[in-house]
Order: sequence, then C-alpha cells, then structure tokens
Amino acid sequence: MTRLPAERAERLLGIALVLPALLLLGGIVIYPVLRLLGLSLTNLDLSSGLPERFVGLRNYFDLWSDPTFVQSLTTTVILTVVTVPGGMLAGLGLALLANLGFRRKWPVRLALLMPWAMPLAFTGLIFAWFFDGEYGLINGVLRLFGIAGPIWFNSVFWSFFAVSLTIIWKSSSFVALVLLAGLQAIPRELYEAASIDGAGRWRQFRGVTLPLLRPAIAVALIFRTITALQTFDIPYTMTKGGPGSSTQTLAMYIYQSTVDDLALGRGAAIAIVLALISLVVSVFYMRQLRAAT
Amino acid sequence: MQRRSLIAMAGAALPASLLPGIAEAATTELKVFISTQERPSVMRQAFDEYTASHKDVTVKLEAGPTTSEAQAQYLNTVLSARDSSLDFFLLDVIRPAQFAAAKWAVPLNSAVGDVGKLMATYLPAYAAADQVNGELVALPGFADAMFLYYRKDLLDKYGLKPPTTWAELVDQARKVTAGEKNPQLQGLSFQGAPIEGAVCTFLLPYWSAGHELITNGKYSFDVAAATQALDLWRGFITAGISPRTIAQTTTEDSRQEFQAGKVLFCVCWSYAWALFQGKNSAVAGKVGVAKLPAVTGGTSVSCIGGWQWGVSAFSHHKPEAIGLVRFLSSPAVSKLLAVNASLLPVFADVYQDPEVLKVNPWFAEAGPVVATARSRPTTPRYNAVSEIIRTDFNAVMAGTTSPAAAAKNMDVRLRRVLS
Repeated sequence: MTRLPAERAERLLGIALVLPALLLLGGIVIYPVLRLLGLSLTNLDLSSGLPERFVGLRNYFDLWSDPTFVQSLTTTVILTVVTVPGGMLAGLGLALLANLGFRRKWPVRLALLMPWAMPLAFTGLIFAWFFDGEYGLINGVLRLFGIAGPIWFNSVFWSFFAVSLTIIWKSSSFVALVLLAGLQAIPRELYEAASIDGAGRWRQFRGVTLPLLRPAIAVALIFRTITALQTFDIPYTMTKGGPGSSTQTLAMYIYQSTVDDLALGRGAAIAIVLALISLVVSVFYMRQLRAAT
Repeated sequence: MQRRSLIAMAGAALPASLLPGIAEAATTELKVFISTQERPSVMRQAFDEYTASHKDVTVKLEAGPTTSEAQAQYLNTVLSARDSSLDFFLLDVIRPAQFAAAKWAVPLNSAVGDVGKLMATYLPAYAAADQVNGELVALPGFADAMFLYYRKDLLDKYGLKPPTTWAELVDQARKVTAGEKNPQLQGLSFQGAPIEGAVCTFLLPYWSAGHELITNGKYSFDVAAATQALDLWRGFITAGISPRTIAQTTTEDSRQEFQAGKVLFCVCWSYAWALFQGKNSAVAGKVGVAKLPAVTGGTSVSCIGGWQWGVSAFSHHKPEAIGLVRFLSSPAVSKLLAVNASLLPVFADVYQDPEVLKVNPWFAEAGPVVATARSRPTTPRYNAVSEIIRTDFNAVMAGTTSPAAAAKNMDVRLRRVLS
C-alpha cells in the first residue's frame, strides 16, 4: 500500500531529471527545425518589403526550375561521391600506418591529429594559397621542375580538383582516428592465429582486419557522408563558388539565399531539402549496418 | 518593510563623490560599422569634431571587411536579427532601396525638413539613390566613381596621351609593354573576381554603347550589347594585356598591383588615388588619372559609387544618431574627407574649393565625371541582380563560359528579378 506514493515520487524525480535535457533539446533542435519548416512555407523575403504570407509548397516547386539550385545540388552530390571514398581510403591508409608499432608514437599521432584540429575555414584559406595561380606553393614547386602549372581557379575541373583534394586531406584525419580506434580493438591473437595458419599480410588484412573494422568503417562513413553533403567552409573560402558558380554547394546556396538575397523562405526550403537528403542517407546506412551485424 | 528601509539607508549613505560618475554614464555611445577601406582613422576625425561640440555623445567605431558584399553580409545578419548593437552605418549607394524595403533604416524626412531642397544641394545621382518612394533612407557621405589610372611616366616616355577608346588603350598597352620588356608589367588591371566591382566593370562598355538595364521602369537588357561588353573584357585577357588571373582580381588586388608598379593601366575607384600617392607606393608622383575610355563610337561613362549614412531602425539612440548623421553629410565633413583622405565630395561646390584642389588638383576634372556617372539599377532586390551579373561575368573572365552564353544566361535570370 505504501509502495504507490514512493513509485510516484520516483517517476516525478525521473521527469525532473530528464526535463533539463528535454528543454535544451526542444530549445536548440525541435523549435528551430519547426520554425524552419514553417518559414519554408512562406514567401518571407526581406528585400521584397512584403509581409510574410503562407504560400504552401511553392518554394519547393520553384526550386526545380531554379538553375542555380540544380547546379548546386549536382555539385554537392559529385563532391560527396568523390570526397567520401577518397577520404575513407586516405584515412584507412593513415590508420594502418599509425597502427604499426612505432617506437615513438607521438609524431605519428600528431601528424594524424593536425588536419582534424585545424578549423575548416583556415584549411580553405591555406589551400587557396597553395593552389594560387601566381603566388601559390604548388605552381612554385612545379616551376622548379620546369612545368607551368594551371591557373587552378580559372578552370571548372581544376577548381573542383583543388577543393576535393583539400576536403580529402582534411577529412582523412577524422576517418583515421575512428578507424584507428577500431584497429586497436582487434585482438592480437587473431593475427597470431592467422599467421600460424599460414596467412600472409594481405590475407590477414582481408580476412581479419576488414571484417572486424566494419562497424568503425560504417560509423566513419555515416559522419563523412553527412558532413560532405553539408560542405560549406572549404569551397567558400577557396573559390567562393567560382569560376562562375561551378563549385557552389547546396549549403553555400542556402547562405546566399538567406544572407545575401534575404529570401528567407527560399533559403529555408533549400535547408529542408538538404536535411531530408541527409536523413535518407543516414537511414540507408543504418539499415545496411543493421543488416550486416 | 525592514528590507526597504535598509535600501533607503544604503542610498542615503552613497557618497556624494559618486554622483559625477553617474552623470557621466548618461552620455550616449553611438556604435557605427564601416569598412577598413573607408579610412576609419579619417572618419574618426570627423566623429571627434562632432563629439567635441556634443559632449553627451561618444562614437564607437567597428571596422569590418573591405568588399561591399562582405559588409552587406554583416549588416544583413545584424539587422535581420533586429539587433540594436549598431546605431548608424555607412551604406553602399546600391543598398538604400533594400534597406527601405526591409524597414531597417529610420526615414529621415521629418529630421531634415524640406527633403527636396536638401537633396538638391547634393550631386544629382544621390537624390534618386537615397529616396525610395518618397522616404529619405540615408544621406550622402562621400562620392566615388571609376576612373582610368595610368602610369604617366611610361606614357610620357613613349610620347602617348591617355587613351580615349578601349581600342586605343590596347594599342598603347602593346606598345609600352613591348618596349619595356618587363614580364612583371601588366597592360591593364580591372576587377574580374565575382564582387560588386565586377558589376560596374561589366556595365562600363554596356553603358558606353548606349544601353541600360531598365529604361523608363521597363526591363531593357540587350543581349547583343552585353555579349559585346563581355567580349571586350575577355579580349584583354586573350590579347595578353590583362593576366589570366584577372578572374580572381578584386578591387584591392588591382589597387595593390598598380601601387607596386606592376600595372600600366588600372580601372579603379577614386579611393585609390590617395594611396597611390602615399608613403607605401612605388608609383607616387608617376600616376595620372583620366576619364574611362569609351567603346568605339560610344561615349565615356563612369559608374557611380559612394557611401551613405543611415540610422538603424533598431537603435535605442535614434535622435542622437540622426544628429550625427546630419553632421556627417554636411559640406564641412565632405571637405574634411576630401582634404584628409581624397574621398570625392558629394557637393559640386566642394570640388572647386581651393583647399581641396590644393591637395587633389585632379578633382577639377573629376567633378564633371562624377556628376555624369551612371547609377546601377535602384531595386530592393539589387543583391540578386548583382549576384547574377558578377557570377556570369566572372565565368567569362575565367574562360569557362563564352560571352554569348553568359549574356543569354544573364538575360534569363535578370528577367526573373527585374520584370
């Protein structure tokens, strides 16, 4: 009989303990997302001078006839398809390298951490200088060998190449950190057993390392894909989307729509589209991961 | 009851010596945002002059990025958040329409009395740019226009007079660069990066050939004329007169390269003059400035710029800010800026002022150029117009799009915004 009030008190305590987290989540995630969703259904454009009005899905329909949106979407998809596998391969290589038994571990770890610790905008500015057509480091080195380097940012292909390479360099270190943790969780005995059975290095890698690394690879892949879809800082600081608007990503177009054009309704609609794409990709990966384990 | 009496006692116990401190705290601090390119130190002189006679006001200056778009991005972010942390600001001449539409600036009509009479005292372009549907959005601070800067020493050496057409400029650039045999020397520098300056660059030959974006309120973009304008600029690159990196060249890059002695001709804004003649210049005393060349058969035109003082609609100190802005847009400040920073005056009379002419002899010829310079379209959606023109212009300068394709693309996109 006396158990009931105690149970209720415990439940109240539970709610009280969860409440701060719920409020925080509501304030910084749920409310802004709902507000964004609402905004995307309005014509709000601060440069129009018109009052905010509900327009249903018009902003979304308009996007498909907007050449800049289509181009930004294409650029974002291609950038993701190039830099995610690129970053994964480079990261895997770095992780394997760091996992070798070095006598001094700190130089390797430091080299691994550096790109990860560098702010994105800073990375973009440094590489913009590396690739500068006149004063750049890369063309300077090429000149030493008598090669006239291209004016990287004058060409759609080379601009894209430079941006991709920078993103791969920057993101490989995050991938490597995740994979290194995965590698170190693989028991040594498995390799010993494999080598007693006569498996060479390559067989060990295929038969032991890769299968056991799968969960870590999946985690890195999910994070990388989502951040790749949201790419902003590096192309913004390196090319400003140029030449023309050939390296403009979806995230940059959101910025241009809201901050430059003050077309908040349109900007919100693109943001929702980008969020939906990220959601679909995450669900797809989660399913694959669950099916595999 | 007890607590209240305690507070009263504490209040009574306040030493009298603290009171002047409280009186001092009553002065109003006005916060302003301007670009580092707008000579903050000289602006500070103008503020100081005002605060010397208005002891109740102080001015806190926040200096920001140099390009007009980067400044607009900052102002857009602060003002769309209805932030009261800025009291007044300096606006590019293309922005008042947008600020009026967004209701970000306090209309100054009631503060100035007869608006028509006041605006008639300024150069004519500003009366149109600063008034939107009868609302006075901002007041002119200083003018700006594009000019052709040239290396006087080099033209003299080859017996040349400043070019009056672009074709002449090409011939002269070829002659001088061939004679100098200096691989570091560019023929012509201009703004090819996707920035606001590129919009003016594009419009110069387009206007020079007699075309407008809007005629009598109607959209009138001429694709053939736009193609020719783009062809002209692209031609400088293919002819080797301008470097292939011009697609990354901003206003400040042009200015710095010319100042370092690496450029023969430079299309740039008036602020560059004082810097070319300054301590850190390799070309001090060797620079000439002229009207911009015309297209063959066209007229010489310039693009009007200039910066306007406006008061934030979210300021908590509007009356004080309006008082200061009225002072900053007066002939006295126009003269101060002309003498100390070579910023172009917004009053026709000031161009003739002997003190101003003593420092800037070229203002005598600059006056008519500024007075007849063309305005970019006045529209609240100017940012979209600018983005379209500068992006396509930049693609042509980089060589990734043909002039004809870019002109067509501009037409399709501008039509959506302007008509």
